[in-house]
Amino acid sequence: MKVLIVEDERKAADYLRQGLSEQGCSVDIAHDGVDGQHLAVHQDYDVIVLDAMLPGLDGFELLRSLRAVKNTPVIMVTARDAVEDRVRGLQNGADDYLVKPFSFVELYARLQALTRRSRVLDATLLRVGTLQIDLIARRVTREGQRIDLTAKEFGLLTLLARRQGEILSKTTIAELVWDMHFDGSTNVIEVAIKRLRNKIDAPFDRPLLHTVRGMGYLLEER
Amino acid sequence: MKRPASIAWRLALAFSVAALLGFALSAAMLRTASQNAIERLQALQAHDRIEDLRYLLERGRATDLAQRARDKIETLSRDGRTRYWLWCDTDPAWRYGPDAEALAQRIKGSGDTPDIEEIDGLSMALRAVALPATPVRPPVTLIVGVNREPYRASLARFQARLLLLSVGGALLVAVLGFWGVRWSLRPIARMAAEAQRVGPDNRGQRLQLPALPVELADLGRSFNAAIDRLDAAYAQLETFNADVAHELRTPLATLIGQTQVALSRPRPAAEMEELLHSNLEELERLRTIVADMLFLARAEQGARAERRADASLAAELLKTVEFFDALLEDAGVSVYVEGDARARVEVSLIHRALSNLLHNAIQHAPAGSRIEARVERGEGFVRIALSNPSETIPPEQLARLFDRFYRVDASRPNSDANHGLGLAIVKAVAAMHGGRAFARSERGLTTVGFCVSLE
Repeated sequence: MKVLIVEDERKAADYLRQGLSEQGCSVDIAHDGVDGQHLAVHQDYDVIVLDAMLPGLDGFELLRSLRAVKNTPVIMVTARDAVEDRVRGLQNGADDYLVKPFSFVELYARLQALTRRSRVLDATLLRVGTLQIDLIARRVTREGQRIDLTAKEFGLLTLLARRQGEILSKTTIAELVWDMHFDGSTNVIEVAIKRLRNKIDAPFDRPLLHTVRGMGYLLEER
Repeated sequence: MKRPASIAWRLALAFSVAALLGFALSAAMLRTASQNAIERLQALQAHDRIEDLRYLLERGRATDLAQRARDKIETLSRDGRTRYWLWCDTDPAWRYGPDAEALAQRIKGSGDTPDIEEIDGLSMALRAVALPATPVRPPVTLIVGVNREPYRASLARFQARLLLLSVGGALLVAVLGFWGVRWSLRPIARMAAEAQRVGPDNRGQRLQLPALPVELADLGRSFNAAIDRLDAAYAQLETFNADVAHELRTPLATLIGQTQVALSRPRPAAEMEELLHSNLEELERLRTIVADMLFLARAEQGARAERRADASLAAELLKTVEFFDALLEDAGVSVYVEGDARARVEVSLIHRALSNLLHNAIQHAPAGSRIEARVERGEGFVRIALSNPSETIPPEQLARLFDRFYRVDASRPNSDANHGLGLAIVKAVAAMHGGRAFARSERGLTTVGFCVSLE
């Protein structure tokens, strides 16, 4: 995935570059609006992370001029949680919006969601280690044993399995499994994960569902 | 905008106009009354003189009566204010005064109303009487004229004095009124001086109500009440700042301490990784507090729910309950939802408020109990309330339930997943939908909820 980061704060830009590079992205950085506009228009990126407040040319202007020539997906990032800003960003053609402070996991999840939009997921059987999920029959088995899950547990497991190896934040999980779109802190997800873990991991030797403290959860065979 | 004229000036002007009108009216009436009196006086004088002469002319039996009458007339005329005419058609001896014949033809003045005529450049009130013949004289007509000039002169003097009195009186009223109003308005100046002393350093300062006249006492009370409200808000802001600093201080101290300890000697990577995870958790907590505070600040600045859509609140409540399924099962608490109503709401905000309410109810409901959630439609609003069995919360704590960082159970400051902001957010969401939050606690049942306006 080729990503352009337009961000004037160097420390923030640097950690984003490192984080995304380590996830296998190729990352370009622009520290002001003018450079950002040049790169965005003349290079082809899979997605652009665009700060709203920039020296030279602000994020909204950059976005408008970019949209005149290209449809590269754009995530706007701003320190101001003003509704007008959000509306203005989305009206000018931003595909998503994040308010500082945001977590890196959150940003990465949104970048993936934006670039994945076009991809079709038509698998009917998901496998993670010895765990098998039959999406048609809605059956989960591990080492031949059938595991009974509630509807939401099945949804949660499917999400983790589809995006195995990827850390999913609690916010992302709440949005995609329960359709709860708010940045609130509750321990609902922790409890739900604990219950799912009791069913799919507890009776077996090798755990598949891992907690990454402070970031989220991931399903993978280690 | 043009500044309105001073109250004292306006009142003084109003007083003097009113006084002038009053004076003018009484002056006009006085003038008319005195003119009438003077005219009656003139008529009376003419009548008296006629009666004087009539007596002589009717009773006189002397043969030289005509001469005597003339002598009497001469005597009477000496006062210079009256004139006399006699006219007899037959005997010239009974004629007196110039143009007596023409006057005798013209003047009919009798009774109370004399004729007014200009004679030799003087205005006169004239009366005439026809005296029938007696044995010593033929029939004659006697005419008496009273000079009106002296009366007119005193009337004019009187009128001039009335005018002077009216204008002078009005001016006096204006001056006294201006001074009186200034004097009565002194409490306002005192109020202004007292109000001037209210400030951040002197927040206890209030207007002295007993020192104010009745008319200003209400204004003073309203002013004091407004200051009280501002004072309360100011005090709340001060505690709030202290609370924020306190809430942020604990995780910051942990972060700094942990990091310093970790860096004080070489450590294996796994240990460092563990530290970073722990730091991340603290940072995540800080991030949530900051985000929630920004949300509350935005709501307090009057932000309204913008992305509204028509929704069934019972359905959203059930969805939130479903989200909490695992937590409810763990706590051994069930939720019963009844009632429904539709409203235009921003669904994500409503989810947030309902989650916080539910979270709060689960925390305080004993295991095995049931949370009752009720959605009701009222006059212009929809109410959502969650009731759970709990210890009864005393009223003074209940009143502070929606305050930021307020926790009923002060011994567990950091155990709360919402950092003590959960119910403050409920209140903010209600406000963003034109509603408010409420709480009740009695006989072991606590009900917390909010309403949204239907606009």
